[in-house]
This record gives sequence, C-alpha cells and structure tokens, in this order.
Amino acid sequence: MPLRSSVTIVASPRPRVGKTLLARLLVDFHLHEGNPVSGFDLNAGDETLTQFLPAHAAPAAIGDIKGQMALFDRLIVDDGVAKVVDLGHQSFAPFFALANQIGFVEEANRHGIAIAILFVLTPDASSIEAYGSLDKRFPAALLSPVHNEILGPAHHRAKYPIGPRGLMLRIPLLAPVLRKYVERPPFSFADDSEAVCDIRADLQIELEHWLRRVHIEFRELALRTLLADLRSSIRISS
Amino acid sequence: MAKPAVILVGADKGGVGKTTVARTLLDYFSAHQMPTRAFDTESPRGTLKRFHPEVTEVVDVTSVPDQMKIFDTLSSSQAWVTVIDVRAGLLSSTLQALSDIGFLDSAKKGQISFSVFHILGPSIASLDEIAETARFVGDASYFLVKNFINNTTFFEWNPETYNSYFKRIKGAIEITIPKLNEMACEQVEVAAVPFVTFVANRTMSGEPANNSFVLRGYVRHWLGHVWAEYDRAKLIDKIMPPVESGQIRQAAG
Repeated sequence: MPLRSSVTIVASPRPRVGKTLLARLLVDFHLHEGNPVSGFDLNAGDETLTQFLPAHAAPAAIGDIKGQMALFDRLIVDDGVAKVVDLGHQSFAPFFALANQIGFVEEANRHGIAIAILFVLTPDASSIEAYGSLDKRFPAALLSPVHNEILGPAHHRAKYPIGPRGLMLRIPLLAPVLRKYVERPPFSFADDSEAVCDIRADLQIELEHWLRRVHIEFRELALRTLLADLRSSIRISS
Repeated sequence: MAKPAVILVGADKGGVGKTTVARTLLDYFSAHQMPTRAFDTESPRGTLKRFHPEVTEVVDVTSVPDQMKIFDTLSSSQAWVTVIDVRAGLLSSTLQALSDIGFLDSAKKGQISFSVFHILGPSIASLDEIAETARFVGDASYFLVKNFINNTTFFEWNPETYNSYFKRIKGAIEITIPKLNEMACEQVEVAAVPFVTFVANRTMSGEPANNSFVLRGYVRHWLGHVWAEYDRAKLIDKIMPPVESGQIRQAAG
C-alpha cells in the first residue's frame, strides 16, 4: 500500500548532533526503496546535505518571504514526493515559529500530507524545552525523538516530556573506522559509488548491517506515520 | 428586531488605510453571519466595491439622493449593519451632513446604533482631526484606529499629547491594526477578493485559486489579530445587543 506524501523534518536546536547524517540516511532510504524524494538543506552557509546529495537536495532559506514561499509552498504540494528537511540549528527557532504562524501542519494535513519531526535528543535544557514546545505547538505532527548512539547513552531521555506518540527512533553506533568514509562527500548510502568500492570488504559488510538496522527503524517510522493517519481519520469520521 | 447599526469608517487624511479597515469589518461581520451592506463613497469608482462587489454600492455621500439611498433604507434593508467607507477628507463634512439631516439625533435617541471608526495617520494633524470629529460624535461608539498595516510609525506623537486628545471623547476605544507583510498585502490587492476568500484560496467566483500558502498563512495570522482586536473592543456588543452567538470561527475555516 503506498504511503501518502510526507514531509520529514530533522531538527535539533543544537549543532553537530547528527541531523545531516540522519537527513542523508532518509533521502538515501527513499532512493533505495525507489520512492521519489527531495531534500531541503536549511544549513546556513554549510550545505552539507547538498554536498552529499547534489542531485536530490537543494539549499533552502527562510530569511525572506521569497525563500519562505519557495520552501513551504513546495512542501505543501501533495505530489507523491517524500520531502526531507535538514533543519540547521540556526534555522530551528525561525522555522518552527513561521510554521506555527502560517498553520503549516494543519494545512499539510488538509492536503493529505503527513508531517514528521525527528528531534535528536541531547541532554541540554534548551533542547528539552524546545521538544516540549514542539509537542504543544504541533499536536497534529508525528514528533519522534531520535537517539543518535554516537552521542552516548540516552540517560537524559527521562527528562524529555515524551508522550505516548513519541516513540524513539535510534541511529545505531557506526564504527569509527567507517565514519571517515561516510562523512566525506559525495558518499551515498544508496548507490555503489566509487566511495563505497574503496571500503574494505569486511567493513562493507559491517556498513550494510548498520544500514539494515537504520532501515528497520525507518520502516517502523513509516508504519507509525500510517497508524497516526489512521487514528486521525478515525477521529475525523467519528 | 435589533435596531439598525451604522458604522462610519473615515479619516480626514488619505492613504491611512480606511478601505483596508472597512474590508476587515465586512469580513468580520460575514464570519459572524451578520447581514451587512456597504457604501463606498469614492464616487464614481470605489475601491471597497472592488473587493466586496456583492454588498457594496458606490455613492456620493454629499448628494441628497444618495443620502436618501443610505439613510432612508436603514430600517427596510435586510442588512443589520451598514458600513460606510468615507472618502478621504470627507469625514468631518459627512458628520456635519449627518447632523444636518437629523441622523445624529436619531442615534442619540437610541433609534439607530452609530459607530465611528476614525483611522489615524502618523502626523500630528491626525490628532487635530480627533478634536474636530469629537464635536459630532456624542453618544456614538468611537473607535480610534492606529493602522500599522503599511508599517506606519506614529513618530510625531507625544504620548501625553495623544492622551489629551484621546480623553476628549468619552468612552473612546483604541484599536490597533498590526502590520501585514508587504507581499501578502500586495497579493490580496492583485487577487481583488475579500481577505477570507484569499485565505480560503478561492477566487471571487468561488473557484479554487493558486495563492501562495505562505502568503495565505500571513494573511490568516494577521486577520486573526485584527479580529481579536474587534473581539477585545466588544464590537458586536457595542453596535447591537448580543446575538445568538455560536463559536467564533477561524478565518480559514
């Protein structure tokens, strides 16, 4: 069964927590599954998503109204294309303030587009507060906490106001020896590029295992999005 | 049946956003399901009529036949509310005309509900207008509107001076119209539809339009603030006794 159009926003108010890696994995996952996908790179001055995925991602900006229109008017189109937003930490507050002001999630739902916010958990108070704020402001979005295992154990999870709809998505720890390959553009998880061929065979197997675990997490996320849809349509019809 | 309500929207200066405010009022009453008609005094061509053609008639408020058209039909009209968008520079003379035909006396006797929306400009001249207008207002509901839609800065006003004028009119209510993003404002102008129609992404004929979602969002947010001001000012209670009130709706439905 085809899932409806979706917009996945990878977010955190903190820098260097693995947002771009997660956004790349999502775009590559859709490519691997044969789904049309577009990435939107909202990293001010540091367009790493675009560097890794030049054919599938483009820089975006929301500093002026033309940029806002170019981004949100595209996200709101129900064209069957999965859209992934890599939200740089500097754009975090203005993006969600604008989304709230213009009623982005509600309008997306009216168009049959599911909105998922993947929030990378970190122990700082500002992130905990930001998560709670998103939960309150966007009840119609699927807010999913993300535990990036490279950031250490998620002891701080208990400090987050994670409700019943906030099931954890995990990014498994990637072996340090592999990081030097995957963190160098134009490495792609989706194709058999030259960069992948350069990796030793045993490490390639390890990378595949790691990727398989990531894809299981994404499939669960897709399932959760579908269930949230069903719940929402049941609520509407009752 | 409730007594007819007349709202005069005007200023003695041009370009302060009278018609914009009149448009928000027509949208507000429409959302409250209050039958409303409007008169646009920018004869021979009216801006208000361009946005609300079905309820608006262009008149020359200084001509007796058109005065009859407006005021002799207040009781017989299906509309509960009559909004008059007064051409720039004609507020004082219109009020004088209303006084001359006995309209203000009828309002004083409680036969008609009368309100004035006085749109203020940024200059000190606007404060003098308050003093001029105050002579006529009497028991009318008097709303002083600071219109920031075009990012006006009321730079010439000393708060003490302003308050001294403001307090001259007993029960005057201040309303603030916030700024609307320029491009959003411009696109509604181009679309030539009521604000709520733009937000709903429709054309004047009700067909789906192709307006930017972002611009519609800005307009919805702005209109929500304007209406919140009218709610705060208890506009409907002021102009007529409370109607059977349902839930106040959102601009975009």
